This record gives sequence, C-alpha cells and structure tokens, in this order.
Amino acid sequence: MLKSWKLKEIVLMSLFAVVFGIIYLLFLHVGNIWASLIGPIAYEWLFGIWFIVSIIVMSIIRKPGAAVIPETMAAAIEVMLGNAVGPRLILAGVIQGLGAEAAFAATRYRHFNLGVYMMAGAGAAVFSFVYGYLLGGFAALSTEYVLLMFVIRVMSGAVIAGIGGKYLVDALLATGSLRGYAITKRDAHA
Amino acid sequence: MINRMNPSVKFVMITVSMIAMAFFFNPWTPLVFFMGVVLIQLLFATVSWKTWSLMMLPFLLGAVGYFWTTLVFGNEDSTLGTALSLSFRVLAFSSLSLLFVFTTKPVEFILSLMQQLKLSPKIAYSILVGYQFLPVLKDEFFQIRQAQQLRGVEVPKSPVKRVTAMRHLLIPMLAGAVRKAERTAFAMEARGFTGEGDRDFYRKITIGRADAAGSLLILVLLCGSMAAGWLL
Repeated sequence: MLKSWKLKEIVLMSLFAVVFGIIYLLFLHVGNIWASLIGPIAYEWLFGIWFIVSIIVMSIIRKPGAAVIPETMAAAIEVMLGNAVGPRLILAGVIQGLGAEAAFAATRYRHFNLGVYMMAGAGAAVFSFVYGYLLGGFAALSTEYVLLMFVIRVMSGAVIAGIGGKYLVDALLATGSLRGYAITKRDAHA
Repeated sequence: MINRMNPSVKFVMITVSMIAMAFFFNPWTPLVFFMGVVLIQLLFATVSWKTWSLMMLPFLLGAVGYFWTTLVFGNEDSTLGTALSLSFRVLAFSSLSLLFVFTTKPVEFILSLMQQLKLSPKIAYSILVGYQFLPVLKDEFFQIRQAQQLRGVEVPKSPVKRVTAMRHLLIPMLAGAVRKAERTAFAMEARGFTGEGDRDFYRKITIGRADAAGSLLILVLLCGSMAAGWLL
C-alpha cells in the first residue's frame, strides 16, 4: 500500500499527526472535566474533533490509507506525549480512521467534496461508537440514552470533522503551501 | 522489571487486558484489576507518584460521571454494581495506561513497533521525525502568537469563539508543517533512506526474560481479577 507514496507525503502525514495529536490531547482533558459533570455523553459533542486529521490529510493526499494512517499516527503521538488513556488510543485511532477511510473507499477515492467529507466524519463516528460501546460498557445503559449518544456523535463527526475539516483544508489551500500535492493537481483538472 | 519489558510486548499485553476487561460488568473484576496494577507499579516499576496522581485525577472525575450516568440512565438490568463496575473500569484502564506510559520511552516504543511488530520503516521514522519536531513546533506556536499579538489580534473572551479563533494559529502552523515535511523528506532521501523493510538497526530492541516475567504477571492478575468477579 505504501509503495505509491512519496516520502514527503508520509512525513507530511506525520507532522499533521503531531499538530492534531496535541489538539486531540487538549480536548481529551476538556472532555474529561466536562464528563465528570454530565457523564460520558460529554465526549459525544466533541467527537468530531478527534476525526479531523483523517479528513484533512485525505483531502490533501488522496491515496488509499490517507485517512486511517494519520489518525493512527496522531493516536501514537498522543501516547508518546503521555496520558492516562494510553495504548488503547492507538486501537481507537485505527478504528476511527477505518471508518473515515470506508467513506472514501466507497467513492473509490474519486470524489472529494463536502458531502464525502461529512460521510467520512459520520463513518468514523459509527466505527468509533461500536468500539466505545464495547470498551465503555454502554450495554449497561438504556437504549434511548445510547441512541441519543450515537446521534450526537454522528452529527458531531459530520459537522466538526466534515465541515470543519473542509474549512481548514480550503484555508490551507489558499496559503499556497500545498503545491505539489494531489489536492492542487486534481482540482486543476476538475 | 516492567521498565525493562519490550514496549511491543507490553503494548500487546495491555491491549489484551483492556479488551478482556470490557466483558465484565461486575464491580469486583475491575476493582481487583485496578488494585493489582497499582501493586505492580509499587513493586516492579519506578513511577513518579506525584505525576501519577495528577494524571489520574481527571479520570477519577470521569469515573464519577460514569457512575451517576449509569445509575440514572442505566437499562433495567443494571444495578449499583454495574454503575460501580463501569467507574472502576475507567480507573483500571487509566492505571494500566499510566503503567505503560511511565515505564516506556516513546522513541523505544516506535523502534520496537518497527522491529518486533513489523511496522513499515517509512511510517516509523516519519513518526519519529514528527516527534523530534515537537519542540520546534512549540517555538513556532509562540512565535506566531506573539506576531499576531504585535499586530493587535485579540483573543476573544467567550470559550466558543476562542475555539474557532484557534484557526488563526492552526493554519500557519499547518502551512509550516507542510514545508517542514517537504524539506525533511528531501533530507532523508538525500541520505539514502529508502524505507525498505530489510534494513539494519543501529539501536536494537530485544525481547528477554523480563518480558516473560512481566507478561506472566499481567496474565495472573487478569485471571485473578476474573476469578474475583465470579467468586464474589
């Protein structure tokens, strides 16, 4: 899978993973403090933030793996920085990344627009919810409450990761620093 | 001993324990497991307890949130025991994660993932590059902020606006990251980095006796806490 990748694309992925890894950690602590007041549902609103690197890197590089790998890298960076969620973040990163990747794979990596980004955000939310259901023990909660958590998480994924990701990428594109990446080449043809 | 364990082995053991924990809804299993992990830390690992408490604290708060949510919004089968179980699970997970974080050197963790778990060198060295850039990125963050302050950009008061205002810092940071990535990749290739799997390693990470002992210890604790759940 990595054969078709240029090294500069992989290093770019990693540096974005560092920047977003720090942001992810920041919001993890925000979420924790909030969660002590209103319970685990506090994280649900924020969840889209934790999917955003997938959408940003995928829209820049546009190759299979550009959603799942940076998300996993960001999780690895979070672990390297040290926090009490630790190694299982990497597992969560892989699963969330696969959710976003699935949406891009469904378009065969041909369409990159707001609709697909929102689908990717929602996909990451669905995948991560299944994982959270198991590890968080949501089975002990009532069905309505779990459903509410699920809906909020999917909305958060679509809005924060999808729309927010698109907004950030467009702003980054406007700086002109992305010349030489797939995002500028394909947009020129379209 | 835990400090000397191979990071990949430790990583796998800890992940397996966490997944196993997810199938238990009685309060005893996670509680015994949590206490066991703290005991392991006490006996076999060197840990700064001050940092430990500081990092546990937010998760202790999270555990409280879990407790009352399960009590209030639990389904018809859940009881006080289930609520306690979910909160203890948060504590068990956090203590286990801290056991990993405090006893593992970040760089060795990535090197070990590459050498033991066959992570692609392209990815592994890229992560290490990113990690080494952390202090640079930190300096850049302060530089951009100071530059914007000089030009009179105000930080908004409301927390929501403050989050959206993060983009003023984030976009220049990311643009800088793109340029750094390009330069670094160029430098790596100029020094003959191909990213092939069949390479020699300057720093070899090995698996040894500490791994067998440490894994056994964690397995015993895992089985013990499961047994506690069935018996009590």
